[in-house]
Amino acid sequence: MGRENFHRILDETQQDTLRLGSLVEEATAKAVDALMRSDVKLAEEIIEADDIVDDLCVRVETNCLNLLALQQPMASDLRTIAAMLDIIIDLERIGDHACDIAQITKNLASEPQLKPFIDIPRMAAAAREMLRESLDAFAQHDAGIAHNVPAKDDEVDRLYRAVFKELIEFMAKDPRAINRGSNLILVALYLERIADHATNICERVVYMVEGVPKNLKRSVVEINQAIAHAESMQARSHGESAAS
Amino acid sequence: MPLFDVFRSQKRPDPEQQVRISDPALALVERFDALVDALPVGVIVVGEDGRVTVFNPAACEIFGVPRERALGRALIESVRSFELDRRLSNALRQGVEQTAELTYNAGVEHKLEVTTRPLRGGEAPREAVAVVHDITRVRELEAIRRDFVSNVSHELRTPLTSVKIMIETLQGGVHRKAQAQFLADIARETDRMIALVQDLLGLAKLESAAPLSPFEHVDLSEVLREVVATQALRAKQLKIDLALATPDEPVLIDGDRARLVQVFVNLLDNALRVVPAGGHIGLSVNREPDHAVVTVFDDGPGIPSSALAHIFERFYVVDRSRARAATGTGLGLAIVKHIVESHGGTVTAESELGAGTTFRCRFRALESIAPTRAI
Repeated sequence: MGRENFHRILDETQQDTLRLGSLVEEATAKAVDALMRSDVKLAEEIIEADDIVDDLCVRVETNCLNLLALQQPMASDLRTIAAMLDIIIDLERIGDHACDIAQITKNLASEPQLKPFIDIPRMAAAAREMLRESLDAFAQHDAGIAHNVPAKDDEVDRLYRAVFKELIEFMAKDPRAINRGSNLILVALYLERIADHATNICERVVYMVEGVPKNLKRSVVEINQAIAHAESMQARSHGESAAS
Repeated sequence: MPLFDVFRSQKRPDPEQQVRISDPALALVERFDALVDALPVGVIVVGEDGRVTVFNPAACEIFGVPRERALGRALIESVRSFELDRRLSNALRQGVEQTAELTYNAGVEHKLEVTTRPLRGGEAPREAVAVVHDITRVRELEAIRRDFVSNVSHELRTPLTSVKIMIETLQGGVHRKAQAQFLADIARETDRMIALVQDLLGLAKLESAAPLSPFEHVDLSEVLREVVATQALRAKQLKIDLALATPDEPVLIDGDRARLVQVFVNLLDNALRVVPAGGHIGLSVNREPDHAVVTVFDDGPGIPSSALAHIFERFYVVDRSRARAATGTGLGLAIVKHIVESHGGTVTAESELGAGTTFRCRFRALESIAPTRAI
């Protein structure tokens, strides 16, 4: 494989990753839309469209492995390939969660709405924004964009706790609301997970661009120290149990 | 490499590609570029390798992408739409020509009509073009029109049905006393329909942007007194307490008196529809250093915060079940906003569910003509 060919395939693989990103962005948007309007037909379309998500993941993964095996990529190309292998996993999970939300739309179709949706659409908007920015960061190899995303996760978590509490109270007051309430808690959970996956993607992008390892909040030195500390704690507790 | 790109490379001389071309040809390329840039529709051209060679300002606007980011790269890197990418790929590799709608979301959702087709190449390298019309507003207006027609038919059907039934009953023969009651009801329903038609005419005037009558000095206190007087009996019948507070001196602004009357009639009318018996409506006129402020307060059910952002939009109706006599095309507040803003003023609404609503109209005040101190 010539150098030119390598870069062509590397570029195409990144484009495939963005295609995958576009598909799951759309699946998420449609899933929430279908839920709001109780649109069973749209929900079914989302579930059917998941096959192509899986196919694209396989293609990206195969290309990445070929690139690694057949040509020893240099530092930044290596990080790009490694990042993509992780990112497609997050994207594939996001696609799955969108399908899960669509499935819930189908399950709840026959029941009337509990109360006007307020916090769930807010969570959806926040999660979608985080996903969009994480993919923008990847497309533009821009760590600056990626750094701004994790902070928004706090808001999503806060909304999730609020939705959870509110729905529990609803269900406690009226047992007939239990089926709907618990399914909506799942929807909120899936949206919270989508936001987490978007944060993961950002971490990979930062790694890809800056060469900094996964956890955005700590440096390499701090991580090594933490591991050393944990290992010594483990050794000590083993030593104690052996002595007694 | 497509011909135009060769020509363009002459503008930024590239040592590898020294092709001598004539000035007229270069001028042609520049003219073509200027033409494409001037088009109000998005134009995107991709080459055989899938890279973008043309991305005009309209496309930049629609997709929210700066031109430098799009040119020379695969389209999916800047415009993240799987569907658009797929259609261009079909055009490029299979010569498929297609026009279809597409939804694109980069923060704000856009509805687009996209035509994708191969550019005639023959021997030349293949290219495909996407022409993108932003039809978001068109679809929005269609939805608004559908809602409006449906609203109006519903509003007219109800009183017309009542009237028909009453007329048929009268035709069947009834007591004189009952006759009087039926006729009164028919008169009331007819008034309802007239009010609706007047709202519609008001809308027509708004849309034709008819200029207001020439401005004159208007005393807001006097206008409010007139408006309150016309609605006093209705308020009394509804057992709603109606109060007006005005300062002693006139509060003058430049304005169209009849239109200003309409503003406060609409606001007071809205309040009278939703405040329950025993409730209160308070109107006041106040003078601030440079402004005159009219406040309309009611302790009715209030407006949910999700609706508050939309109440001044045309045809927006908060909730049909709230209003007493549920007529409402959703135009009253849109008319209020239009007139107040035509006077260079602002109108705002604050509300708390269960507590009430306050509307504030703020106008630029004229210096008071009447003396404020005894000489």
